[in-house]
Formats: sequence, C-alpha cells, structure tokens
Amino acid sequence: MSTTRKRVYGYLAEFGSASALYKAAEKVRDAGYRKWDCHTPYPVHGLDAAMGMKRSILPWFVFCGGTLGLLTGFFLASATQTEIWGWIPGLTKAIESYPTVVQAKPANIFTVPAFFPIMFELTILFSGFTTLFGLLALMKLPRLNHPLFASRQFHRATDDAFFIAVEARDPKFNQEGTRQLLEEIGGKSIELVEEED
Amino acid sequence: MAHHHVTSADIPVDGERLVSSKVEAVKRIAGYTSLLLSLISAYLLFGAKPNIAAPFAYSWLFALFFFFTLAAGGCFWTLLHNVSNSGWGTSVRRIMENLGYVFPFMFIFAWPLLVPSVQQWLFEWMNTHRAAGGAIFEGNIGSLFGFYGTDSMEQALTAKHEALLVNKQWYMNQFAWYARFFFYFIGLGLVIHTLRKFSVNQDTDPNPTTKNLFKARFHSTYTLIIFAITITFAAIDWLSGLRYDWFSTMWGVYIFAGTALNSMAVIIITATLMQRAGYLKHVVTPEHFHIKGKLLFAFTVFWAYTGFSQYMLIWYANITEETTYFLIRNTGDWNTASIALVFGHFVIPFVILLQAWLKKNSKTLSIMAGYTLVMHALDHYIITIPERSVSLYGMAFAGDKRLADFLNVSTSVPGAFWGDILAFVAIGSGFIFFYLRALTQTATYPHRDPRILESANVSN
Repeated sequence: MSTTRKRVYGYLAEFGSASALYKAAEKVRDAGYRKWDCHTPYPVHGLDAAMGMKRSILPWFVFCGGTLGLLTGFFLASATQTEIWGWIPGLTKAIESYPTVVQAKPANIFTVPAFFPIMFELTILFSGFTTLFGLLALMKLPRLNHPLFASRQFHRATDDAFFIAVEARDPKFNQEGTRQLLEEIGGKSIELVEEED
Repeated sequence: MAHHHVTSADIPVDGERLVSSKVEAVKRIAGYTSLLLSLISAYLLFGAKPNIAAPFAYSWLFALFFFFTLAAGGCFWTLLHNVSNSGWGTSVRRIMENLGYVFPFMFIFAWPLLVPSVQQWLFEWMNTHRAAGGAIFEGNIGSLFGFYGTDSMEQALTAKHEALLVNKQWYMNQFAWYARFFFYFIGLGLVIHTLRKFSVNQDTDPNPTTKNLFKARFHSTYTLIIFAITITFAAIDWLSGLRYDWFSTMWGVYIFAGTALNSMAVIIITATLMQRAGYLKHVVTPEHFHIKGKLLFAFTVFWAYTGFSQYMLIWYANITEETTYFLIRNTGDWNTASIALVFGHFVIPFVILLQAWLKKNSKTLSIMAGYTLVMHALDHYIITIPERSVSLYGMAFAGDKRLADFLNVSTSVPGAFWGDILAFVAIGSGFIFFYLRALTQTATYPHRDPRILESANVSN
C-alpha cells in the first residue's frame, strides 16, 4: 500500500475508433469543458475543429520574431556598411570608424538591396527560433513526467487506442457528472487517473 | 468546418454546366469588343504612320504577353495538378483546364509579331540580321538565313562589329526565332487540348473508368518540359529579345513566377464568380480557397525571390551589358514605378496574405487576387514599355528619318499610353471571350472523376 498522498488528475476514457472519438469530442466540447485533450496514435483530420480549439497565438510570436530578425539584419548590415546609425550617442565613434567600401559600391541608405540577403536570413532564423521556443513554451515542454503516464492503459495511445482525458482542474469537472458524460458518449474502460502529490 | 459532408448523392449524374443568359451576354459583348478594337489595332500596326505604328507595336507586345502568361499559367496548373496526382484540386481542375485552353487562341493576337513591319520596331537584332542577310542574298530571302552554321552571316555580322550578335547567333537568328514561335503555340496548344479532352471525355464515358485519368497523368510528365521551354523561351524571344545585348539567367524563372502567380489569381476569381452565380456549390469549399490562397502567397514570395535575385546578381556583377536593364528602369518616373512594384507586388500582399481567415473567405481572397493582377500588369508594363522610348530614340538618332519625332523623347513617349490601354482592352476582351467560351463548352467540374468526393471533403 502506497503511503504517498494522491491527487485526482482526471478521467481517461477509451474510444473504439477515430470516428467515435471525433463524435465524442464534439459532445465534450458542447458540454462546455475546457481543460481536456484527445490522444490518438495518428493525426485525425478535423479533430481540432471537433474539439473547438481556438487558433494558436503562436503565429503572432513568430511574426514579432521575424520582424525583430528583419530589423536586426538591417541594423547589423547597415551599421557596418553605412554611417546612418552614427547619431546614436554611444555608437558614433564605432560606426564612423567602421564603414567599408566594397567593389567601389556606394555605402549609404540606397545600398539597401545589398542588405536584403542578410535581412532575409535573419528573418528566417529568428522566425525559426520563435517557432521552436514559442511552441515549447506554449506546450510547457520539456517536462519529465505526465500524470497520465500513471494509467496502465495509456501506453496504447501510441498503438491502437483513442483516448479522451478530462482534467479535474476543469471548472465543470465533477466525479459523477463527468463519468456519466463519458459513459453516455460511448467511452469504455473509464479510469480515474490519480497522480502522486 | 461547418460544411456538410459531401456524398455522391450531392453530385449530379450528368454534371453541372455553366449555362446562363448573363454569361452568354458577357461573352458576346467581349467578343464584339475584341473584334472591333483588334481591327483598329490592326490599322494602327499596319496602316498608320511609323510615329504611331512604332509605339503601338510595344503596346501590343505588352498586352499580348500579359494575357499570354495568364493562359500559359492555366496550362501549368493543369499539368502540375495531373503530374503531382493531387486530389484536392479535382473540383477546380476544369477551371484550370479551361483557362489553359485559351492558350492556343492567343495565336490570333500573337501573329502580328511574325510580320517584319512590326518586328522592325521591336527587335533591333532582326534589323541587323536582315541588313547583313540582305548583303549576302538579294531581297527578303536573305533575312531568314543565318541560323547556326552559316559562315556568310557570321562574316557579315563580324564585318559590322556586332560581336554579341555573332556569339548569340546560334540562338538569336530569324529561322530559329520563327521555328520557336510556332513551336510555342503548336506544342503547348496540343498539350492543353489533349489534357482537356481526356478530362472532358471522362464526363461522358458510358463506361466510367480511371483510364482517362491515368492517361492524363502519364502524358503530363514529359509535356511539362514543353511548358517550361515555352514560357522560358517566349520570355527570352519576345521580351528579353527587345534588347539583344542584355543577359539575365533569371529571366525565364522570373516570368514563370509571375505566370503561375497570376493564373492562380484568375482561377480564384473564376471560382468565386461561379460560386456566386450558383455553381460549384457542393464541391468547392473554403478549404479550396485556403489552398489556392496559400499557392497565391507562395508564388508572391517566389516572384519576389526571383525578381530580387535577378536584381542583385546584376547589381553585384556590375557589367555594362547587364545593368542597362535596371538603369533604364531606375531613371525618371520609371524609378517610382519600380519602387511601387517592390512594395505593391511583394511587401503589401505578403503581409496581407499571411492571414488564414482571409484566404478561407472567397470574397477577400478574390479582392487580393484582383489586386495581384493589377500588380502583374504594372510588372509587365515596366518590363516592356521603358524599352520603347530608348529603342525608338536610338533608331531615330541612328538616322531613321521615319522616327524623327522621337528625337525629342526622353524616358517615355508622350501620349503613347492610350495605345497601351487600347491594346490591353482589345486582347483582354478577346481573352475573356475565349475563356468564357471554353468554360461554357464543358461541365463546371469533373463529376465522374473518382477523386471528386475526396476533393469536395478536403480539409487542410
């Protein structure tokens, strides 16, 4: 017998097929639950719509990251090739002593096409980084463990089973009502998953 | 999302056809407008004095190439759709095929380029070749000679110190130019005609099989090369050839990028208008517009990428023969137009088309597609027209008495834009006529294609 305290994570219910899961997800969505998730062995098209998921905020992060990269690229290239940043007090000396004339090309603001490749590369780089790290932050990754791993049947989510997990921290969650709902929409082997506190 | 699941019960057995008095009326008006304006244009090209005919030759080339790219793009999307074996676009494939089917008819507007009296204003290298050929053979027959291997033409050009023309002679000679001209229309015309026939035959096949589908897929593979040759070499022969001493390795790709982008814009607008008129209701969904919007976005970026690559390669190399192109287009008001193109053709559509909701809404996407077409017109205006004042001034300066008026011309020819508008409307209404004609000849979507349900229920 375990001596540690347990805390209820939520209900885990199994569904027979992707289409059963899809229909069940629509009902959980319509019941007004917010903190819940589906676990499938493979991507199911349209499941995000059935779950009523909102569009991710990630594109805005990427847009800001890309813009920052664009400006950084322009700053780095123009600071080393032109004198247009010389008005910034701390930079005046460094910048005025730096400009290089390459291949007799002029070095002023009209040289901007020469900076485009650098601006482009940094836009891509910064967008890529914001995508990766923004995604990890939004998913709260990396993490070492997940409460659902306490379930003995959950490993089948990567094999042949379709699950819906409703979390206890959802305001609409209650032990009887949620279990009843999962039963009504066709959930099998419903399990109350507990995590160690 | 809210779209109901389409089953075979929603697809009419005999398909749906674009039949309405409104379409017929538009088709007829477009046809007559084109006929009338083409007759006026023919007079301006062949009957008018050189100081009107010469600028108008450039107007005609600009308008011709604009619509040429749209029709060729229809061929491209058909070929790409078949060769990639993609299912999503089955419900809009007929629009692509019908847009491509305008291509063979573009010959009706392109043939004036075959006539030496028009060519003499546009392609200066032909004048040099004719003069050199005339020295070898008496009369016009000499002008056709001089394809690769004729030493006499090479000697005649060398004697005139035309080193560039000597080196380019294997490509730039009249025999090869004419041969390629006919190859474009016969080659790609046969390709799109056959592909469309495969597709339409499937609609009425008493014993529906996938036979036609597989045939179309197979024949699209190697014929994609014909498309690549057509769009690349037509761009080099007709546009880049306006200035024989100019080189650009990006030219074919640059023109292709605009072609694919703007024919997709036409396909989007057509699909929207047909849906508003009550067609394609079950098979075309916001998901289709989303995919087409993504292609529009992708090719906007691709166009900018090729355009900038061409600019930067030439700018860095700094070779006189190459920079001349951008020098002309960065002089005077053309500079304003070039900068407007950078923002109007790339920056603005890039930021706007990033948004997913806009691409899923057929109305907003069509507005963006229309905007892209306007920018494509500006793009082609900047490609063709700045050459007009430079060439005509050059010919007048070299002593062509017929063009004496153009000795006063600086960066543009005053008043010549009326001719640009006339040619654009003449060919544009002809384009609409042949497009509507093709659209009303067939069912609006391939209703017996085995992938039509997959396409109607596509989700991305």
